Amino acid sequence: MLSRVANLIYWTARYLERCENTLRLIDVNAQLVLDLESHDDFHDPRIWEPLVYVTGEEKKFFKLHGKIATEEAVVQFLLFDRQNPSSLLSCVAGARENARCVRDQISSEMWEVLNTFYLKLKTQDYQTYVQTGSNEYIADLKLRTQQIYAVAESMLPRNEGWWFYLLGRYLERADNVSRILDIKYYMILPDRHHVGSALDVIQWGSVLRSCSAFEAFRRTQRGQLKLESVINYLIRDKEFPRSILASVAAAENCLHKICVEKAPAHTKVLLAEIGALREHLENSEVTAIIANGLHEYIDDIQSRVASVGAATVDCFVNYGPAKATLA
Amino acid sequence: MADFFNNYDLGGFYDEMFSAPGVPRPHYAPLMKRYQAMTGIGEMFAKQKAADETFINRGVTFTVYSDQAGTEKIFPFDLIPRIIAAKEWAEMEKGLTQRMTALDHFLKDIYSDQRIIKEGIIPRELVESCSHFRPELVGVKLPRNRHVHINGTDLIRDADGSYKVLEDNLRTPSGVSYVLENRQIMKRVFPNLLRNYRVRPVAGYTSDLLDLLNWLAPEHVPDPTVVLLTPGVFNSAYYEHAFLARQMGIQIVEGSDLVIENDKVYMKRTGGLTPVHVIYRRIDDDFLDPTVFRKDSLLGVPGLFEAYRKGNVALTNPIGTGIADDKAVYYYVPQMIKFYLGEDALLPNVETYLTSDPKERNFILENLPKLVVKSVNEAGGYGMLIGPHSTAKEIGEFRDKIIANPRNFIAQPTLAFSRCPTICGDEMGGRHIDLRPYILNGESIKIIPGGLTRVALKKGSLVVNSSQGGGAKDTWVLADDREINDVQEVASGLRSIKPEKISV
Repeated sequence: MLSRVANLIYWTARYLERCENTLRLIDVNAQLVLDLESHDDFHDPRIWEPLVYVTGEEKKFFKLHGKIATEEAVVQFLLFDRQNPSSLLSCVAGARENARCVRDQISSEMWEVLNTFYLKLKTQDYQTYVQTGSNEYIADLKLRTQQIYAVAESMLPRNEGWWFYLLGRYLERADNVSRILDIKYYMILPDRHHVGSALDVIQWGSVLRSCSAFEAFRRTQRGQLKLESVINYLIRDKEFPRSILASVAAAENCLHKICVEKAPAHTKVLLAEIGALREHLENSEVTAIIANGLHEYIDDIQSRVASVGAATVDCFVNYGPAKATLA
Repeated sequence: MADFFNNYDLGGFYDEMFSAPGVPRPHYAPLMKRYQAMTGIGEMFAKQKAADETFINRGVTFTVYSDQAGTEKIFPFDLIPRIIAAKEWAEMEKGLTQRMTALDHFLKDIYSDQRIIKEGIIPRELVESCSHFRPELVGVKLPRNRHVHINGTDLIRDADGSYKVLEDNLRTPSGVSYVLENRQIMKRVFPNLLRNYRVRPVAGYTSDLLDLLNWLAPEHVPDPTVVLLTPGVFNSAYYEHAFLARQMGIQIVEGSDLVIENDKVYMKRTGGLTPVHVIYRRIDDDFLDPTVFRKDSLLGVPGLFEAYRKGNVALTNPIGTGIADDKAVYYYVPQMIKFYLGEDALLPNVETYLTSDPKERNFILENLPKLVVKSVNEAGGYGMLIGPHSTAKEIGEFRDKIIANPRNFIAQPTLAFSRCPTICGDEMGGRHIDLRPYILNGESIKIIPGGLTRVALKKGSLVVNSSQGGGAKDTWVLADDREINDVQEVASGLRSIKPEKISV
């Protein structure tokens, strides 16, 4: 497969996964607001602010919207703002542009469903969100992204491109879940004296929900929503498909598929890197993670996921002439 | 019985179908009978609608440049075919073969000994002032010693029915995918008609093209890799690029997919660099290699020219062919045929005047309202003045342009192109048409039977280009001129046609 084509498919998948995570985050937050008991909390700007940090685009946000992160500003920024490269609209537009260039390889149907989504989304704004009702509107958007996955699943040829597509999704997911966990943890931290309180349970519930992990957690962990068990679940659970470990392990599998029939000399380092990351996650102890600082731990995971992504692109797309082999 | 030819007006032009009102030419008579057997023009429209839908569903489209949303339009297709009798085509084929041979000789000569200049047949200034002349190419030996591989020659039919050459397209002629697609549609809509008519197939074109490309590969390579180089998905002809690549089973690449190492070309694949031996490029010379041609080109491949010069990669068409489709050079093609082949041109040029010649320029300036003036390097129906259809102001502007830059234009009389019945709204109208056969110059010269018939859909218009409101017709070249049996169509009624995988 041409490097350019593989790269475009990989990024299409990353954009799509980011869309889904952004939508989950907003959805859960909008619901969390309704669970807050006091009116003061309801209007606390800190309720929406963490979402901005999740995107990593906080500087741009505060420059555009001032210091107060209102629901309107945050939703507008996360869903419709083209100046935010991680906004839903930016991601859908990016996925669409990429898909257009490889239409022949990914099937016209997949491009068409992305194109329709984009054309509709670009006519909408915060008013649509308010008028439709946040819950219903986000549910509809989520359904549309799921629809794209479904078309991809049924239409994408099971060649190398398929594995690049999945690789993009899993790496993006590992990154997004780690961000959500990091930010939420930071937000809940000041309230640690409330451990075991109703609010604490709600907060940790919302963290799980942001990763669509609430029911799965309840089913398998049986326990109360406790700091350690939630963190352990989201980072290290082997079965839950959105845990960081499961995402990294799935990405590792994709890389092995891609590396079949490639010169081992050039893929060895990359496979070793992701293998080491997976083992690191497997061998971590949650109590030690918390004692040594969750933020530091997650920071390290994030940069290692990013490094695998960059190494992948270097290995298959941006390789220099020295690394090139004649296959 | 349908009567849609009853009010058909020949308009005083040479008509492809009718020799006189209501009297079809012999090779069109069975077609007319078949259409008259329809229940009415409604049936024709239903078939037309089904054909249009098929094009949209199959994505047989070209992109409109200026539209941000990336609107894709279909190239309008008319269901009345243009039919060429076998004998007529045989003559045309001879003429086109002769012309292609002479043009190849000319390009070879210009980039080596320049005999035709030294012997005073074509003025040196004319050749060297041509914007597509590439002095870098002089003395470069080309694969198989072929200097041009593909030509799309535009022919028109004059008032007396004789075919004349309007221009050659020796750079990257486009449109052949429509020829192949249009035939697919006609096969579905009128299967029996095609069979009874014994229409020569066009589907061999992509195999012939692939043979040509493989033949051009460096001789020591047993299993060469051929790619199609496209400017990218935003190019208006991208559909055609993807179509041809698919049909030939070759990789479609962009400039950034290719890299040059030690003057050899490679494509960048996930498993490493793999060598490329032949490039069917759909990018103009100017953009091919920023280190030699336009420095600002992002479409090309730095170092490609050097790889080409060293014979490590073949390009189709070769670099520098544009000189032979400069419209002022076109003027000299009959002389080239005489000079290189010692023959008279079988297919004449359209009468042409050069604005660079002082005597002819005076004639042109005095007769602008009657003439068609064309800029020598433009294609696509741009940069042209049609005297009889222009205002005094437009004519004045062109006069100034000609005086300021006489090398840049030619003039031709406004021709009475032949017309062919065409479905126009709710009636049958005569519309002007031309013909572009695609000529391949490989081991032997191969010409697609027929080619692209373009039709100016606007009433009275002489401009057939797709970018200017032109459409297309299927072109039927008959295998022989035996009498054609009457046709009863059974297969296709009013049902619409489902999109399906293209197979040619």
